[in-house]
Amino acid sequence: MAAEKVGVAPRGGDPQHSSSRRWIRFKRQIPYQLMILPALIFLIIFAYIPIAGLVIAFQDYSLSTSYFNNPWVGMKHFQAFLKDATFWSAFRNTIQLSLLRMFLVFPMPIILALALNEIPALKFKKTVQTCSYFPHFMAYVVVAALWKDILGNTGLVNNFLRQIGAIQDPISFWTDPAKFKILATLVDMWKGTGWNAIIYFAAISGINNELYEAARIDGAGRFSQIRYITLPEIMNTIIIMFILSIGGLVSGNLSISQLLGNAFTKPESYIIEYYTLEVGLGTMRYSYATAVGMFQSVISVILVLLANFFSNKYQDVGLF
Amino acid sequence: MKAKKVSNAIRLTTEDKVVNGVAIFIGLFTFLVTVYPIYYCLIYAFSDGTMAMAKQIYLFPTSPTLDNFRAVLTDKLLVNSFLISVARTATAVVTSVAFTALTAYALTRKELVGRRIYSMIAMFTMYFGGGVIPTYLLYRSLHILNTFSVYILPGLLSVYNMLLMMAFFRDIPESLVESAQLDGANELKILTRIILPLSTPILATIGLFVGVGAWNDWYTAAYFINDQDLMPMSTILMKLVSAADAARKAREMLADAGGGAGMVKKGTTSVSIQYATMLVSIIPVMCVYPFVQKYFVKGIMVGAIKA
Repeated sequence: MAAEKVGVAPRGGDPQHSSSRRWIRFKRQIPYQLMILPALIFLIIFAYIPIAGLVIAFQDYSLSTSYFNNPWVGMKHFQAFLKDATFWSAFRNTIQLSLLRMFLVFPMPIILALALNEIPALKFKKTVQTCSYFPHFMAYVVVAALWKDILGNTGLVNNFLRQIGAIQDPISFWTDPAKFKILATLVDMWKGTGWNAIIYFAAISGINNELYEAARIDGAGRFSQIRYITLPEIMNTIIIMFILSIGGLVSGNLSISQLLGNAFTKPESYIIEYYTLEVGLGTMRYSYATAVGMFQSVISVILVLLANFFSNKYQDVGLF
Repeated sequence: MKAKKVSNAIRLTTEDKVVNGVAIFIGLFTFLVTVYPIYYCLIYAFSDGTMAMAKQIYLFPTSPTLDNFRAVLTDKLLVNSFLISVARTATAVVTSVAFTALTAYALTRKELVGRRIYSMIAMFTMYFGGGVIPTYLLYRSLHILNTFSVYILPGLLSVYNMLLMMAFFRDIPESLVESAQLDGANELKILTRIILPLSTPILATIGLFVGVGAWNDWYTAAYFINDQDLMPMSTILMKLVSAADAARKAREMLADAGGGAGMVKKGTTSVSIQYATMLVSIIPVMCVYPFVQKYFVKGIMVGAIKA
């Protein structure tokens, strides 16, 4: 299609050919438009139809009708769930788990990347790095089953503590609601820290070595180099990752909630996603559950936009 | 960073020693905390279940046996679910990588009129979606609930993967494409003969993402599939774990009541079988992992630097 560049120019000034030229340009477009067409159809079906389906949040939807011919009920469902105590407990749990994620899980990859960067033994560093990615590739189901057993009443940790005589009775890790959130956060940390560090490894490896050399000539020690070179250089990455995580403040991780939670810890592990599924698919209150889901997505979009706005304003880094 | 190592070798200040010490400690800690639970899973799966329950194992399997794996491999449901997992993963990787590559290539072509609008249409879906209920209702009206296609169709394109791929494609010299165009190659030929062979790192990376996602996904089958024969291993394992939980609780209650001792028969327990199942589900990932590892690090780093 380079012919376009060659061919169009000489004919450019000829008005007589304008319609045929348009036809030629149109014909040249066909292969490109055909290549994009499947994706367009895909996005319309699997992304935009569900978005359009959000209208049922304002209707009384029943399975026998389609999206668009149900009785309109305005904000009824929104008012209903906002008065529901179960929703608010799910909301509280979701926010608390997200805050733990943002303040405990989020810094870990940065610490790991900074630490590994300082390890002098290359082989050791590579080994740790490679191993630390691995839990990311394990199914959440497996990770949950593993930690549920290791921290179970007759699991590795309790047996060990009993053998060394530190405790008499087993510590109930997974049946104590008070421990659920912190344990779930730790499991999340175990699974994700290594993988999430990749982006920081990338950022660190992109730092110009001359900066360090210059700093050393000026007498900067290792701490100062981390503090005044490495950290500032990866700050933009950190901020972008943090902005992205803010959007997730009102979203929970269903895997944590459903795979690690159980009947005992439900008061602490019940999150909005769980609530949506239970009232939506469990009791078939589709409109109601859609209203809950919509509330959640609208808040997270607003949060992303706000976070982006502030970071653009103060730091000159933003997503858009 | 090489220079740093040289100076380290020459003279280590106290600060250097402290920094090295802390860094090595964090590295060692990460290594142990990551590797040991997986190793524990391994030794438990090879242990005699009752023996392991009687005496806690730490470093080596107790009375090593393959009974747990025998129990897994003779369980029709587990074997079937393993095959379903393999089938859905293989299909998802091939279809999704092909579809993503086609779309990403089209979107990086400057000739494509409407490029910006198409990109915006795609990017918007990264930030906003209809949520689970409208999605469920969509699948219902498409009649893909409770069919194999519910594993494949919705995952054909991930916008995030597409952006990664586009970042990679943009780096391929335009002159290669232009000369192929002059030779009369059509766009599909350019994509398959020129672009894709040059893009192995990103194709492997995205193939890995899609594959791992498909292999580990328990959610789709838990909510969109009823038929047990269509359930992948992760979903079956999830059910097994909750069943084992219940069984263990019942046994503990029995033991508390004083009648439990005779209940456990020698050989396998629900826990040891569960560990074997977990191991079986990790093994395929472990086998592929070393080979794609170098690609995904490269692939994601390219994406990270660009994005």
